[in-house]
Amino acid sequence: MTVKRITPELFEKLVGLAALELTDEESSYLFEEMNHQLASVESLSQVPIPEDVQPSLHGVEPEGTAPRADRWVPFPRPERIIALAPESENGMIAVPDVKGAR
Amino acid sequence: MKDYEVIIGLETHIQLNTVTKIFCSCKADSWEDEPNTNICPVCSGLPGVLPVLNEEAVRKGAALAAAMHAEINPESRFDRKNYFYPDLPKGYQITQFDQPIGKGGCLDLKMPDGQTRHVRIHKLHLEEDAGKTKIEHGTRLVDFNRCGVPLVEMVTEPDLRSGDEAAQYLIQLRQLLRWIGVSEADMERGHLRCDANVSIRKRGSEVLNTKTEIKNVNSIDAVRQAIGEEAKRQVELVESGGTVKSYTLDWDADRGKLTMMRSKESEADYRYFREPDLLPVVLSEEKIEAIRAGLPELPMVRRERFEREYGLSAYDAEILTGERSLSEYFEAAVKCFGGGEKSISNWMINDLTRLMNDLDKTAAELILTPAFLAEIIRLVEEGKINAATGKNLLRKVEESGRDPVEIVEAEGLAVIADSGALRTQIEAILAGAPDEVANFKAGKESLLGWFVGQVMRATGGKADPKLTREILLELLKN
Amino acid sequence: MKLVSISAFEIAQKVRGGELKASQVTQEALAQIRKVDGIPGSLLPYQVSAEEERKVHAFIQVTEEMALAQAKKVDEAVANGEDPGMLAGVPISIKDIFCVEGTTTTAASRFLENFEAPYTATSVQKLIDAGGVILGKVNLDEFTFGSSTESSAYQPSTNNPWNTEHVPGGSSGGSAASVAAEETALSLGTDTGGSIRQPAAFCGVVGLKPTYGRISRLGLIAFSSSLDCPGPISRDVRDAALMLQAMAGQDPKDSTSSVRPVGNYLQALEQDVRGLRIGLSPDYEAVYYPDLETGEIHREPIQKEVHDAVLRAAEVLAKAGAEIVENVPMPNTRYGIPVYFVVSRIEAASNLHRFDGVKYGYRTKSEVRNLEELYRRTRAEGFGPEPKLRILMGMYLSAAGYSSDYYQHALKVRAMIRRDFDRVFDPIGEFSLDAMLTPTTAATAFKRKDVFGDSLLMQYSDQMTVASNHAGVPAVTIPAGLDDGGLPIGIQLIGNDFCEDMILRIGRAFEQKTQDDAWRKVRPQALGGEVQA
Repeated sequence: MTVKRITPELFEKLVGLAALELTDEESSYLFEEMNHQLASVESLSQVPIPEDVQPSLHGVEPEGTAPRADRWVPFPRPERIIALAPESENGMIAVPDVKGAR
Repeated sequence: MKDYEVIIGLETHIQLNTVTKIFCSCKADSWEDEPNTNICPVCSGLPGVLPVLNEEAVRKGAALAAAMHAEINPESRFDRKNYFYPDLPKGYQITQFDQPIGKGGCLDLKMPDGQTRHVRIHKLHLEEDAGKTKIEHGTRLVDFNRCGVPLVEMVTEPDLRSGDEAAQYLIQLRQLLRWIGVSEADMERGHLRCDANVSIRKRGSEVLNTKTEIKNVNSIDAVRQAIGEEAKRQVELVESGGTVKSYTLDWDADRGKLTMMRSKESEADYRYFREPDLLPVVLSEEKIEAIRAGLPELPMVRRERFEREYGLSAYDAEILTGERSLSEYFEAAVKCFGGGEKSISNWMINDLTRLMNDLDKTAAELILTPAFLAEIIRLVEEGKINAATGKNLLRKVEESGRDPVEIVEAEGLAVIADSGALRTQIEAILAGAPDEVANFKAGKESLLGWFVGQVMRATGGKADPKLTREILLELLKN
Repeated sequence: MKLVSISAFEIAQKVRGGELKASQVTQEALAQIRKVDGIPGSLLPYQVSAEEERKVHAFIQVTEEMALAQAKKVDEAVANGEDPGMLAGVPISIKDIFCVEGTTTTAASRFLENFEAPYTATSVQKLIDAGGVILGKVNLDEFTFGSSTESSAYQPSTNNPWNTEHVPGGSSGGSAASVAAEETALSLGTDTGGSIRQPAAFCGVVGLKPTYGRISRLGLIAFSSSLDCPGPISRDVRDAALMLQAMAGQDPKDSTSSVRPVGNYLQALEQDVRGLRIGLSPDYEAVYYPDLETGEIHREPIQKEVHDAVLRAAEVLAKAGAEIVENVPMPNTRYGIPVYFVVSRIEAASNLHRFDGVKYGYRTKSEVRNLEELYRRTRAEGFGPEPKLRILMGMYLSAAGYSSDYYQHALKVRAMIRRDFDRVFDPIGEFSLDAMLTPTTAATAFKRKDVFGDSLLMQYSDQMTVASNHAGVPAVTIPAGLDDGGLPIGIQLIGNDFCEDMILRIGRAFEQKTQDDAWRKVRPQALGGEVQA
């Protein structure tokens, strides 16, 4: 039996999807580790699931908070949020254009 | 062009008119607000925060589903749609994927030519809006005020066949949204936004060809025009041997032109999965029943009932059911009058709507109540005041809020039906116009109208026209 | 006895009674930090002197000013005859994954080096409201991603106070170490797959993962939202109960927080264990992991001393009147780690989407041509290797979209893990247990650098703890001895939903029955104890 592996091509695609860029050293390390983890994940495919089993999102069924009433509670001094931004202009967060050239 | 059929599906985003956003307690509407002043840690996606669902957004979403004849899901769920964009602070949008609040549904379009087009709903779910960005000198500036505004995304099946039908769909949808009170549906303010999927095929064919998506067709005219343009482009392309490619197009309303945004070949992978921060939205049978029961009679049903019950023309019925409070006003007035539906309809369509337009008010906002309108019409029909006085009264009542009868008495607006008093006035007029009297007596009987006019002028329009004629003829013929 | 050595319960009692000043306790705790902690973890390069190697390095940030102000408030309340709360004057450290207004919240990541949240986590606010004194923020694995605290971007990372050549465990390593080294009486940690219990066991302290939803998650920077639980770390069971009492309860800002009424945990401790049914399972005697070449599953028995400690604890409890039920099957426990790989990575990848250099935290300093490049460069520079690994794995496991076999399948296996617990806790079922007794970890604390870098092995150190995260049930680790190397051994009690009172009660009974055990007299190295050769 051989285990399933993530291909280098798929790995590259995932790096793009994750909005990352990696050094060669990082790439080879992460690529290997992912395939190790995949061996663990793949062991699940052997687990027989009885028909009546429904996916469980939280394990325990949360007896959670009911939806909230539609009442306005303003957040005090919202400018504190924009103050966290690395770059802002006139109260707006600034980023480069999608197409570039700024 | 006429060998081809245009296949259209519309994707609409409807802003619900809740007080607050869908997952936090910021105001839902920021139209008048400065950028980033209506935000909090939740809607701006700070680390560590959690969404808490607004129950009113659920209720309004479910009400819309009910009004669209969709099935309301007793247990709907939220999912995450993951992608990077600066207007999406969490890096994912909370939306509903495989367990939306509504399933199925339809809208029957009444086309002006009397035809009906049955449009099926493919998808109806709740989600949060993203923020806004704008470009200024090569920099993109981001405003989060709109992040988290509650939306219903509603997508039709490809059941529409022309720009006109698509426009009619938006018209009826807008009417319905306002009618059931779930959205202001103001397209200029983005409360109702629309993207259109357009493809063409040879008439008689059943295949669905490659479609293009037109973004931002955010007015009734834009929908009609953009679809027309795109259908024309596709036909010309195919006729000249080309093939339609799966593009996303942008409609520039100012220039009336379509521009290509991007090829859709590389479809994004949103990696949907269940939102673990929210619990299923559970609506009990009683709650669903209450939502259904809470819906008013829907516009199309009411329109048909008006034709049937009041014998109104299709045209009148359509106008009177164009807006919910107008239709309710009509029925209230009929009730106060104890009938008179035809004249009430005429008064409303001809005069009341003009008043409403002038004052920019809906029927519900009028001070002139249906009871007052009924009273004015009654005064006219009983000959107590003439029609012109009645029409002026509309505005006077609206401005003063006073009872029309009271105004008529206080201002002496009743018609002069006392023949003695009228005779005295007419005698004075005839005495002042000896030439005209002579001409009349010489056979120029068409002058009668002129005499009537003189009397009306002298009495400020209050003279009873019938009585005026009688007295005039009596005095002139002697 | 030094103030830093006494329990939170006693401190609060004395402060409320006016016998002790909160300010004095705070000063002593700060002094202890200065004495044993060494240089704080930071992004700056640091000198590894032999002396620093023997320090604890639990703290990233000591909030001295804030702590003294909070202590002063408590003292003023007492002076005014007001009740300062059940945690009056108790020093508390906070895992640096909780947002606390007035502090930076780093998540042990370069990404959030200067991030100051404009709001405070509900759990932390409740501690403050109960009179607790926040001493500062302690180290952890970057974004809680790890089991040794070594992956923190803030170095030096925390050492194990019992033997500084060993890791404190993780991800709440700073929390467990700060409590073990008597720098603080209590610490607030988080547990997603064992991140409270494993370091607590490694550091010889008590750590409780409550039922999912018992303590609000608001303000906890999310790792895996369906698994994350804030919880207490303390030196004894009563202190854990006290801290839980202060934090438990529904939060209108966390939809998944439970509306269930909160029990009286301290009162529950007064009951004994007579007649309680406690289960032992053969499925907690070994770790199951895949062969990387063949995919075959190997079975590796747990460390003998750990296994013995569990059996000894069972004897102690049996003597105290509990009924020990052996051979309780928990057959799906072994799938805990692979299920965890799927669920936690998918959720983590999504939770880390928001770190994009746009709104807060790190943004690349290099020139970028467009937005896409800004995202990629920022995330490449801001995240360490472990977050990158988890993001990529999450991308892979969810990339196929909703129909993804991995995710749906994993959630079903998760449901089966849950069923194991449902079956054994069913009051009218075959076992009708009140708790399960298991090891907390398969082995005691490993040496620094021994496991770090091997992400699979590191993850498998959570094998004994992760099942209760999947099931959502509460579990507590309690010190139960030392191994031959003098490193602490933890035993775990797992209870039914919202039965924190039950496992704390059993734990307290065990603690009291073993109060005079010789191993309890041994002091950690950081507190002057001898390190065994």
